[in-house]
Amino acid sequence: MKRVVEGSQAVAEAVRLARVGVISAYPITPQTHIVEFLSEYCANGSLNARFMRVESEHSALAALIGTVSTGVRAFTATSGQGLALMHELLHWTSGARLPMVMAEVNRALAPGWNIWVDQTDSLAQRDTGWIQLYCENGQEVLDTILQAYRLGELVNLPVMVVLDAFFLSHTYEPVDVPDQELVDSFLPSYVPKFQLDPKDPCAFGSLVTPNVYMEMRHSIALAMDDALGCFSYVEDEFEKIFGRRYGSVEAIHCEDAEIILVTTGTVTSTSRQVVNELRAKGEKVGLMKLKLFRPFPVHDVRMTLMPAKKVAVIDRNFSFGSGGIFAQEIRAALCNAPGHPPIYGYIAGIGGRDVTTDVIKEIYRKTKNSDIPEAESVWMGLQEV
Amino acid sequence: MGEKAEIIIGDHLLIPCSRMSTLSNKTGSWRFLRPRYDEKTAPCSAACPAGEDIAMVEMLTTQGSFKEAWDTILRENPFPAVCGRVCFHPCEGRCNRGEFDEAIAIHGIERFLADTAARNEFKSSLEKRPPRKEKIAIVGAGPSGLAAAYFLTMLGYACDVFEAMPEAGGVLRWGIPEYRLPVSVLRSEIARIEAMGVRIYTGKAVSSDFLSKAQDEYHAVFMGCGHSRSRKLAIPGEDLEGLEEGISFLNAIRRGETASVHETVAVIGGGNTAVDVARSIVRLGGKAIIVYRRRREDMPAFDDEITMALEEGVEIRELLAPVRIDGTGESYTLTVRAMRVAGTDSDGRAAIEPAGEESEEIVVQKIFKAIGEEAAEEWYRPGERGGQQLTLSNSILVRQPDGVVVAYGGDLTNDVKSVVHAVASGKEAAMALDILFRKGLDAIKTELSAYVVGSGPSLSMEIYMAGPRCERNHHVVAYNEINIDYFHLSPRITQPRLLIDERKKTFGEIDLKISANLAIRETERCFNCGLCNQCDNCYLFCPDIAVCHDESKQGRHINYDYCKGCGLCVVECPRNAMILEEEGQ
Repeated sequence: MKRVVEGSQAVAEAVRLARVGVISAYPITPQTHIVEFLSEYCANGSLNARFMRVESEHSALAALIGTVSTGVRAFTATSGQGLALMHELLHWTSGARLPMVMAEVNRALAPGWNIWVDQTDSLAQRDTGWIQLYCENGQEVLDTILQAYRLGELVNLPVMVVLDAFFLSHTYEPVDVPDQELVDSFLPSYVPKFQLDPKDPCAFGSLVTPNVYMEMRHSIALAMDDALGCFSYVEDEFEKIFGRRYGSVEAIHCEDAEIILVTTGTVTSTSRQVVNELRAKGEKVGLMKLKLFRPFPVHDVRMTLMPAKKVAVIDRNFSFGSGGIFAQEIRAALCNAPGHPPIYGYIAGIGGRDVTTDVIKEIYRKTKNSDIPEAESVWMGLQEV
Repeated sequence: MGEKAEIIIGDHLLIPCSRMSTLSNKTGSWRFLRPRYDEKTAPCSAACPAGEDIAMVEMLTTQGSFKEAWDTILRENPFPAVCGRVCFHPCEGRCNRGEFDEAIAIHGIERFLADTAARNEFKSSLEKRPPRKEKIAIVGAGPSGLAAAYFLTMLGYACDVFEAMPEAGGVLRWGIPEYRLPVSVLRSEIARIEAMGVRIYTGKAVSSDFLSKAQDEYHAVFMGCGHSRSRKLAIPGEDLEGLEEGISFLNAIRRGETASVHETVAVIGGGNTAVDVARSIVRLGGKAIIVYRRRREDMPAFDDEITMALEEGVEIRELLAPVRIDGTGESYTLTVRAMRVAGTDSDGRAAIEPAGEESEEIVVQKIFKAIGEEAAEEWYRPGERGGQQLTLSNSILVRQPDGVVVAYGGDLTNDVKSVVHAVASGKEAAMALDILFRKGLDAIKTELSAYVVGSGPSLSMEIYMAGPRCERNHHVVAYNEINIDYFHLSPRITQPRLLIDERKKTFGEIDLKISANLAIRETERCFNCGLCNQCDNCYLFCPDIAVCHDESKQGRHINYDYCKGCGLCVVECPRNAMILEEEGQ
């Protein structure tokens, strides 16, 4: 049924429909509405889950590690500093091969304190072994949470579903909230491959010597590789029931494009409008939306971007001393492909600043008018300070 | 590690899994500090002259074990119903909880337990030693004499109590007013003492030659005949007709002889007798003025009693020393001189001196003298007849020249004239006589020092009789040894009382009963300083699961194979019932 819901509620509705057994979270703006909705669902009985109030994000994730070890489907959500505090346990979750889903509402890191959108928090966790999926709108958020459970449980890895602060978390949009039976047919009950069981006592996570640690890490790498194919399979299954799919990347007008913009999150929606406007004026511009970031869909990215003459990546994040993180990843994906197009990196919208159609058009113009990138990262709209 | 990691293998799923018990890793070998359970002494119990095991009483009350809590009091004090009403509760002044928010209402809980025992007709289950051949004569059935008889009976001695008045109780029966201590309450406590086998002969005054004649029948005598004669004012007019002694007035009221009073009455003195007289006058319809030489804060009367007297309309004129009394049977003029404080006297109270030459005349219709009491007969005092004398904390033992051993206690020996000090006398004398018969006079002092509560001087009969309390460490738990993180602020119960207007009209008991619900809630506030109340924090916090539940009295023990001596249990014990010691000590 179509309902007008806030992005945060789209997350909460999906968690309810996924029949999650345990929620453990610590409130932080802009994630707060998600856990507020969920605590209400738990209180009014519409979700039969244990809601754990904990004293920090570190504890929130630690509690879920214990929970999921007993074979329960679980959920948490956080933002910015909260995610940073979870860092140690992010590694633990994937190392322990515990599937769970986290909604990560992108928020700029302090100082100075800033509650607005910035992707540096989630991208700083790219090496923790979590699958990362970036969303553009409320419907995609709801659908991706459901897909994330299916995917994570297939490959025994945790999944982070990432959405923009406010532009997505606090924006009301029409969202199709599916019936429980339909969701149940897509997402059956969680059957753990291993679990703590008092009837068969054992301990997980014990000391591992060099003669086997490497193999264990390799198995995570292989599982991440599996996740690429599994994501496609999950999307197939999802599409059969709900009629929607997103792809690890989405290519818009890329077939004949000379310049392809690469975006993530809500900037994609604005870029769609810009691309349509520029196309109407005869510009050969395309747009690639990156949804799946870990595992990185190298093949899909190459297939989409290789035909272009130039690629312009818009990063709402920054790795100090290096550059925009998505641009780095795109460069890495293309560098071993002979004849790949040059990658133009643009930094825009840091700390919640608007990325307007004018900003995107300026990016396009700059890319079109320079034969080679003027810098590894070009900061857009910097004011005199 | 001598342990092969088992591995779960699935599709690209490789994780370590151990099915081997961690019990193979005896972490106890890392330990250089050793925690152990070590119950200590609560400050309230050390402050109680009777040495009552108060922290244990509160703990048992919290658990709803009212009978056991009452028995715990009875091991140290035969008068919970009396002390729960008239004791000045020094325990509460030392309560560690007082430093956190407000002291536990120990006094009110004692009364609650006694009332509950009476209502449910509990029969006390006290340990009693096998009978001994020695018989003890006790002179005076007041609180010290009855306490001596009670504890001596516990220790196996046959006791005969001789009481001059027609009924037992002493000051409890004839001095303290009904509104503080109903006679029915006293009678039931005395009946319980008699039921133990104590014989009380009332209406049997004892003469001075008794102390010599007693040896024909008795092996020792306890003198607990109290102070019943008013002290003299030593001022002109003191012996005018119509001037009364406060203690006789109270006595007459308790005999049921007093008519109403409609006049303004002066009461000279500042002790409990003076306050009791003044408050009784209010109840009989009169107006009472207490005239006292020192300041209100110097009055030896218990503070609560003074406060309630003021509430009831008693006037206190302080720093006024009586100089002379004039008058007829109708009206008296009390001439007083204003005094001022001039340093401190030898017993720590404010010293006073005349503030000037001026005097004031207070005109009243009646005057009561209540400046304190003394022994009614010279021979009641210890040492009057010579002999070897042993002075203890609350009693004096004398081996007379004729060989008879006489123990003196209660008001005859105590600086503080209180019921609980009288109980302390009776207990101390009982222990001292027992040691005398078993080991001789010289052993008494050293022996007694082993049975003190904390650092003394309170003595514990439970420790003396080798009960579980003798395992208690004598260290008195200080406030900073309590882990206050485990307690939250909560107000002390308010003792329900008759309304002031009701109090002024009746001799009915002022303090009303509290419900079991309130009592439990109040005792839940108790830190239980030094005692294990099975809160299980040690068990919950032990990172090595080395605290193991068992069937012992402690309910748990530490498995030193695995305890690595981190000390978490000791730190997290809210009430200092554990200790951490260096290994090998």
